[in-house]
Amino acid sequence: MAIQLEQVSYTYADNSLWKQTALHEITLGIPKGSLTGIAGATGSGKSTLLQLFNGILKPTQGTVQVLDVTMRAGEKSPKLLPLRRRVGLVFQFPEQQMFEDTVEKDLCFGPLNFGMSPEEAKERARKAMLEMGLDLGLLTRNPFRLSGGQMRKAAIASVLAMDPEIVVLDEPTATLDPVSRAELISQLERLCREQGRTIIIVTHRMDELLPYADRWILLKDGKIAFQGSGGELAADPDILARCGLGVPHSLRYWRGIAGRFGLAGEKPRLTPESLAELIASLPGAGTSGRPEEEGGCP
Amino acid sequence: MSEAYQNVEDAEEVQAVIKLEGVSFGYDPEHPILHNISLSIPRGQWVSIVGPNGCGKSTLVKLMNALLPKSGGEITICGHQLGEETIGAIRQCIGMVFQNPDNQFIGATVEEDILFGLEGLCLSYAEMEERLRAYTVKLGIEDLLSKHPGELSGGQKQRVAIASILAMKPGIVIFDEASSMLDEASRDELLRILQGMRAEGQYTILMITHDADEILASDRVLALHGGGLAADTTPQKLFRNIELLEKCHLLEPYPWRLARELQSRGIRVDVPASEKELIDTLWPYN
Repeated sequence: MAIQLEQVSYTYADNSLWKQTALHEITLGIPKGSLTGIAGATGSGKSTLLQLFNGILKPTQGTVQVLDVTMRAGEKSPKLLPLRRRVGLVFQFPEQQMFEDTVEKDLCFGPLNFGMSPEEAKERARKAMLEMGLDLGLLTRNPFRLSGGQMRKAAIASVLAMDPEIVVLDEPTATLDPVSRAELISQLERLCREQGRTIIIVTHRMDELLPYADRWILLKDGKIAFQGSGGELAADPDILARCGLGVPHSLRYWRGIAGRFGLAGEKPRLTPESLAELIASLPGAGTSGRPEEEGGCP
Repeated sequence: MSEAYQNVEDAEEVQAVIKLEGVSFGYDPEHPILHNISLSIPRGQWVSIVGPNGCGKSTLVKLMNALLPKSGGEITICGHQLGEETIGAIRQCIGMVFQNPDNQFIGATVEEDILFGLEGLCLSYAEMEERLRAYTVKLGIEDLLSKHPGELSGGQKQRVAIASILAMKPGIVIFDEASSMLDEASRDELLRILQGMRAEGQYTILMITHDADEILASDRVLALHGGGLAADTTPQKLFRNIELLEKCHLLEPYPWRLARELQSRGIRVDVPASEKELIDTLWPYN
């Protein structure tokens, strides 16, 4: 396991009148090298949970184990600096953290801070750019002169430059256009599949991540409402409604077709292409459709 | 030009709450960010503004209330021609909800933040209380009133930002991807609120968005590309124009994509309204 939480609670402003418990007795495990999606309604504790993953927040109850570091509530935690390099946290709107006058300087800031030599930092920066599918020519550009999608990717690259084993991203696709969004998700999937990094993505657009995520964690009011594979989630989508989330179209259509033909046990087909392919292979679908009417697509 | 036509044009002129004529923006005249944009939006219309990241959508709306200075052309908002003397009047007509809600919080608590805008309008205490109550209920944020904006989650912040703008009842409301961090339930709720506002006919809504459902809910789509207006169309026509969709980096809603994939495999179906309708269409006899 890359990350293991045992009975973890987190209370903001504990010991004060204003204390507020954001997470209640969370127990979860995230396997090494997996791609995990975390979803939940606004205010369900998603962002709080992420901050436990590299020790920005420490549990007020229970035990958090990340890689080989264990943080117990009430105990003095071990040195967290090395852990923070190994667990890269990408916050909401990460591009707003960029501050240098070139992309290269911005990407080198982290590695230099963790004690790498300038040459090594520059090498890391180049590698991270390529990992995010960015052109090396952008390194000399001012980060504020990039397009929204490029800026977001460069900001994520600045976290990758520290070569983290675990990358945690909070709503990485918010405000990106759908094409940039799909590109970013596939870059992140590649980081996971080809380099064996553990990727954790918080999203409320489950549609875009459903075809790729190995595992899902759903939060409701600071508690775990579901933990399991996309297939298990597809088998019981009502859980989404109970968490205050909508059931994505892809899941609804898959459920409809799978239910009709007894395919519920199979690997869900969650993209329009793969579902259309399945439908085309089912008996009768090619012949009995109505002729195209005005409402159809060209 | 016939006299009748002239009259129609005059009538449009009176009704247009937003009018841009040959508007440009850019620091370098050789490479303008927006070039020669002309458009007219009548009162009560709900307009989606779409286009790829970095095409100038936010810039366009920021020109309208002079958050950015236009470098050419004329802008008329609610009958005021944009100039130094009219900026104040124009800003009272336009309420703007930004992409990142952190950029617009001022108060130490959610309540103060919402009241800040209302105080600026010199409303009576009773009126302020009433609006505060009405809009916090509408956006489901009654429980958050005594909190500091920093204590809120991303989606909660967005709802507070939306409430504080709507409470001022501006004639024109501009949402700059203001639902990007809302979960689906809150987003549907926001769409419902906007539909209610449209039904009242008093509000003109401009929404910068990439979201297919939001675009479908609107009356009209302005597509920006390469610093110009690539299309002025309806949502239905936009989602049938694959070339334009690609240009704007947009995706059709899932049922539209599924229908297209099926059609490309020789299965002739309409865009289904639900999974049940699709199944009933494909296999009607069993």
